[in-house]
Amino acid sequence: MNPLTIIWNFLSNTYHRLGSPREFYTISLYTTPVFGFLFLVLSLFGTYFGLFVAPADYQQGDSFRILFVHVPVAWMSLFVYVVMATAGAIGLIWRMKMAFVVTICSAPIGAAFTALALLTGSIWGKPIWGTYWVWDARLTSELILLFLYFGIMAVYYAFEERKTAEKATALLSVVGVVIVPIIHYSVEWWSSLHQGPTVFAEGGPKMPPEMLLPLAFMAIGFMFFYGYALFLSMQARVLDNERKSRWVKEIVSGKTN
Amino acid sequence: MSPSQKKRFAIVALIITGVSAATFFAIMSMQSSFEYFRTPTQINQDGFDEKQTYRLAGLVRKGSVNRLEDGVTQHFGITDCESDVTIQYTGILPDLFREGQAIVTIGKFSTSNLEQRSENGPLLIASQVLAKHDENYVPNEAADAIMLQQANKCDDAEGAVDY
Repeated sequence: MNPLTIIWNFLSNTYHRLGSPREFYTISLYTTPVFGFLFLVLSLFGTYFGLFVAPADYQQGDSFRILFVHVPVAWMSLFVYVVMATAGAIGLIWRMKMAFVVTICSAPIGAAFTALALLTGSIWGKPIWGTYWVWDARLTSELILLFLYFGIMAVYYAFEERKTAEKATALLSVVGVVIVPIIHYSVEWWSSLHQGPTVFAEGGPKMPPEMLLPLAFMAIGFMFFYGYALFLSMQARVLDNERKSRWVKEIVSGKTN
Repeated sequence: MSPSQKKRFAIVALIITGVSAATFFAIMSMQSSFEYFRTPTQINQDGFDEKQTYRLAGLVRKGSVNRLEDGVTQHFGITDCESDVTIQYTGILPDLFREGQAIVTIGKFSTSNLEQRSENGPLLIASQVLAKHDENYVPNEAADAIMLQQANKCDDAEGAVDY
């Protein structure tokens, strides 16, 4: 067998195992702490390099260092949405139980990242721009994203019947995915007070490697945080969803599986 | 995929396409209202309405900043390297304010101080001045060189510049 086939079979097998609540629960017991550990290590490195090693910016001085939190959480606010909407589409098309769980558990995490992006941006804006808030395209579209996350959470809890709630939630998250490219390109399509893209700019990052490195650490670290928070939240929801099945009863009653 | 899965796939694809198309047309029809600011060239070409509040952005023109006798009112020009608007502002300017820096000013155009309308464009009485920093992050050591370069940006610019 060629190595690609082996990798493909492994991924396909893992994917299908994760599709079963019970298998997911077992796998996540091992992966969740690993994600949490990687988040801690990467973000500690990122924080150290960001605060003490990276040079100050020529015009913003040390206050630009909030970038090492602001930029990763803003990226994550979009990344989580894409994952959530993709899972929603998979759930709608293939009626996969676990895909709905991903969608529902991602919404509050995404909302938290979005709120943090808005908050850190606001704190950064006051000393540098001279204002906490303006209604330019980037800031406004990011605020709409926050309300969209709230709406998705609200829709899930608005239905009595779980299957209806899951489908409605997945549908809203799929419909809302159109906001992602709007937020991403808002600073290129329209004039704004918010700066244009630094890292994914045409002709390479407009930032020296010693600033880029801690940013990368933080960005990957926050991605593991998302995995950590998502899996923790999914564990709880899977146990609740499957509370009538024998394997959950065994876990709850303290017997090891 | 089973037939019912194919059908649901088609429905999801249709929803995404429909929503994207609707959003695209909605945005295209409101394009100008998403712009945060106007440029001096737009103002000088299209004119302005004295009753309206404008958000106007440009680079602080080299050598144009001067403080009036009251000590708190500043006069300076902003430019996109093609045409200029003069700004009058009473208050504390942002820390990043300097020659060549992109700033956004918010206010109304003056009609009374006609004699102050010099060759440097119409006069905007700003109620707010915000700094618009760009996407470049550069270590501190290079500060002087890059700031000098920014202050002289218009010297070798051909036509209007972006900021």
